[in-house]
Amino acid sequence: MEVGQMQRQWLDYTRSLFLEGFLDAQFMQLQQLQDENNPDFVVEVVSLFFQDSERLLKDLTFALDQNAVDFKKVDAHVHQLKGSSSSIGAQRVKNACIDFRNFCEEQNIDACLRCLQQVKEEYCLVKNKLETLFRLEQQIVAVGGSIPLVEPTQMSF
Amino acid sequence: MEFVNTRKLQLQQQLQPPQQQQQHFHVLAVDDSVIDRKLLERLLRGSSCKVTCVDSGDKALKYLGLVDDLDDTTSSVSLETSSSSSPPPQPLEQEGIKVNLIMTDYCMPGMSGYDLLKRVKGSSWKDVPVVIMSSENVPSRISMCLEEGAEEFLLKPLQLSDLDKLQPYFVKSLDNTCENEPANSSIDSDNDDNVIIINNNSISKRKAISPEPHHERSRPKMKELAVV
Repeated sequence: MEVGQMQRQWLDYTRSLFLEGFLDAQFMQLQQLQDENNPDFVVEVVSLFFQDSERLLKDLTFALDQNAVDFKKVDAHVHQLKGSSSSIGAQRVKNACIDFRNFCEEQNIDACLRCLQQVKEEYCLVKNKLETLFRLEQQIVAVGGSIPLVEPTQMSF
Repeated sequence: MEFVNTRKLQLQQQLQPPQQQQQHFHVLAVDDSVIDRKLLERLLRGSSCKVTCVDSGDKALKYLGLVDDLDDTTSSVSLETSSSSSPPPQPLEQEGIKVNLIMTDYCMPGMSGYDLLKRVKGSSWKDVPVVIMSSENVPSRISMCLEEGAEEFLLKPLQLSDLDKLQPYFVKSLDNTCENEPANSSIDSDNDDNVIIINNNSISKRKAISPEPHHERSRPKMKELAVV
């Protein structure tokens, strides 16, 4: 596959991620912050997000597994995850966290467990999507091509 | 045909430091989220600021020399200042540490951004502008912070356009004779009613208005793909 095709593929894939709601405009902010001086900025931030999220999901699982659930602690973890997903534009994870917090407030264990499952699923999905995106980028760069700039209007949302 | 684009950072044009800036504008950034610290650091470094990041209000106070406890040995904190009851000779310097702006998250475990704000405003660092950031748009929280002396309240996630609101502070603290209030900056049209404009301590929420010309430059345009 030659560079133009790879770039087209990258654009189509990126567009789909926005259309399907996996990513929102904040992700584009990250892309705009990547330049020659910060060539791996997006991957770096997203990697931090992956590490941080995995820690939080573990903590959440543990916290909800207790006999006496500390909902304040659960809420604090979800708040953090909501914040970090929002900061990188992982929209569906963020929205799942918003739902989760509502049930924390109600102190509804079953609903919280369902929410945790939902958050985990959304996290896995966006992680796979982003890893695929980064692989496409690596392929483009490996053949000496460059990653397209995107404009919000092009992303049709 | 050659495909041209790399992700050039457009904001260098938009955020040139003022000509008279002799040394780097130094921001102390306080946030418990590693992702947000990274983002903030990138945004600020992109406008030629020196940035020191700490992950808690306690560490911020230690950095500013406002606590007596010097047992902390984390590498992110500079401990060469001791807490001093007498005011330093220069308003913005205390034993070699100069901070031009403090940006802090509101919601942090332990000391909140609001608590930090109060401590700073009650100290010899009280003239340093403090900006509060929060992911939650709570009007009572915002007015509480403004009343306590915060200069700005920014909603997270932070974006390039938020730096525009900080530009007046970059200039103001370097020019002691400057008495202008920070001008209202225009709002990025992608922000859907989540931006607060601070003007003379009153808060007005504005819908998206037409962006200033330099916003346009910050949006990279997608060029046509060459299909061979």
